[in-house]
Amino acid sequence: MTSPLETEGGGTPLVVDDEKEPAREPDTAQLEGRSPGRLMWIRFKRDRTGVISAYVVGLFFLIGLLAPLISKLYGKSPYTVYADERPELFDSAGVPVQPNGGMSGEFWFGLEPGNGYDVFTKLIYGIRTSLMISLVVTLAVVLTGILLGVSAGYLGGRADFAIGRLIDFLLAIPSQLFFIASMPVVVSLFVSPRDETPTYVRVVALILVQWVLGWMSLGRILRGTTLALREREFIEAARVSGASPWRIIRREILPNVVTPLLVQATYLLPGFVTIEAGLSYLGVGIVEPTPDWGQMFSKASTELVLQNDITYMFFPGVSMILFVVAFNLLGDSVRDAFDPKTAR
Amino acid sequence: MKEEVVDVTKDEATLPAPRDAAADGPGEPLLVVEQLVKHFPVKGGFPIRRTIGAVQAVDGIDLTVRVGESFGLVGESGCGKSTTGRLITRLLEPTGGKISYRGQDITHASRKQLAPIRSEIQMIFQDPYSSLNPRQTVGKIISGPMEINGIQPSGGREERVRELLEIVGLNPEHYNRFPHEFSGGQRQRIGVARALALEPKLIVADEPVSALDVSIQAQVVNLLQKVQKELGIAFLFIAHDLAVVRHFSHRVAVMYLGKIIEVGDRDSIYTRPRHPYTHALLSAVPEVNLDGTDEAQRERIRLAGDVPSPISPPSGCRFRTRCWKAQDKCATQEPPLVQISGNRPGHLTACHFPEEPTVEAREEDIVLDPALAALEDTQPKTGGAGD
Repeated sequence: MTSPLETEGGGTPLVVDDEKEPAREPDTAQLEGRSPGRLMWIRFKRDRTGVISAYVVGLFFLIGLLAPLISKLYGKSPYTVYADERPELFDSAGVPVQPNGGMSGEFWFGLEPGNGYDVFTKLIYGIRTSLMISLVVTLAVVLTGILLGVSAGYLGGRADFAIGRLIDFLLAIPSQLFFIASMPVVVSLFVSPRDETPTYVRVVALILVQWVLGWMSLGRILRGTTLALREREFIEAARVSGASPWRIIRREILPNVVTPLLVQATYLLPGFVTIEAGLSYLGVGIVEPTPDWGQMFSKASTELVLQNDITYMFFPGVSMILFVVAFNLLGDSVRDAFDPKTAR
Repeated sequence: MKEEVVDVTKDEATLPAPRDAAADGPGEPLLVVEQLVKHFPVKGGFPIRRTIGAVQAVDGIDLTVRVGESFGLVGESGCGKSTTGRLITRLLEPTGGKISYRGQDITHASRKQLAPIRSEIQMIFQDPYSSLNPRQTVGKIISGPMEINGIQPSGGREERVRELLEIVGLNPEHYNRFPHEFSGGQRQRIGVARALALEPKLIVADEPVSALDVSIQAQVVNLLQKVQKELGIAFLFIAHDLAVVRHFSHRVAVMYLGKIIEVGDRDSIYTRPRHPYTHALLSAVPEVNLDGTDEAQRERIRLAGDVPSPISPPSGCRFRTRCWKAQDKCATQEPPLVQISGNRPGHLTACHFPEEPTVEAREEDIVLDPALAALEDTQPKTGGAGD
């Protein structure tokens, strides 16, 4: 990995090809090399789009993380049914009396027609649920991708063949249909259809189905990278020194697949957020009363809300567009920072 | 690039004394390779894939590397030199034959069985841009082999790494730097330092300088020579550059299509070659003769065609398809690698009809390539070679 950045920073002088008189000045006594990771960080920090996107994404995660605290300060809960608590705010059909879905200083984002949930707390809790599920899925996918992809690439032969065909098979399944069709099946594995399904079962089922069909692209990329790395001479050098396969994978290969791994993970996560939202929108994901980003779209498109409170759609919509766009831009910047040679 | 070629050998003060390699006696065989074979299967066929042939990369070679000796292995691209090196370091599994190191058979030894020998046979790689892990510091790269083999030098690994960096002519302060911060020549020095980290008895150098530009080549070759002489390490030096091998090796073997066709001490191979292929190879080295008169004219041989495919090599003598002396016997009988009368002891040649032991100009140039021959006929001869 050569870098065009040697002249940057100015703190560390170039290594000159001058071994006759090795630089012995006092200021070069602490020659500290800059690792590829640090160079990437330096490049990333100069990318304004990337930094702004990172802040936006960070803000969303912060909101998700601090949702209980925010709603406590705000003084409301997403589970409170304001149609019962404050019936004076609603008309007979359950639509907020005030314009724009009852937006006011008390209810910043208004109230939901029907049950009258507070939209603001519902949104931040929804973000929390969605991001939590997507993060877990991403983590599971990354681990599976590393495990299967790197071992397929490193072991080769039969293992590679088996994993390769498994990837082909799973990629051939139409994922949207699979998600919709398999969600009830997976849920029924845990709970009898007659009982009420606890929320955690739905969460686990959502994570499971997305994980099963989510790891293949990453697995393939890691397999390819590992395959290319395996032929590099530094791997052979390690083998000549007697390194065990485990050590080679851990010390020589894994640090070198971090780049595609990180780039892919930043592309995968917003994808999982939208898939999760899509499933909840279609009614096979998280259901009421648990707040969820995607489920808010589903609510917004019901006849009651659509006809009486068009602003309701605005909040989950804008926030999700913001999140997904920012995350994808972040992914682009991360890729550019890692691999400055690729033109966009 | 201010550095002069001789510079590398100057700082002898930093070198440790030659190690106990000398105790074994310089003539002792260190590595013995007998009838080593490596065939790579060629898969094909439909619908059932099966082995339909084999690339006979190395097809029965014998060689001996003695303690403290540098042994050159030359040949053109694709003749199996690198495969031989990788077989000896056991990066590849031999198909047949025997490799023994100090009398111990390591042909099919497993990784655990090889562990004690691993530290004694090390390798220097061809491409300095791919032989260093870009994610590790120089210190980590060089101390890696010590870590793997659990070697704890007195004074600590870091101290030893700094010492090694100094031996190979790098600043010990480069310990915390990353490979991308170095030039090709410096990277190759790091590779040499890594190979030296385990104090090996034998280093297999697989085209260690062919990826470097010429000015750097000399530095690295001189460094290797210094290491070889002062640390008493035996080298198996694989190269296609005859000049580099001549500069570096005590003994030289010439390979052609997976076979050793001639082996001997350096002077025998370079001044008294017997095999037609060795003659052709030597005559292909470009020569700068500025005076034009002082030195004796060298012979000129221009072969035609390419090396035959190693999947189906020619019967009998493998060189016969391109040889100007080939006769019926060459197609039916494979010439054994023997000492031909007039050769010095240890100079073995595999040829039925060996050439005269000289590289001086012949009565007539041997130009087998019809296109080249036509070209040369039309041009007025400037040299005196063909007159």
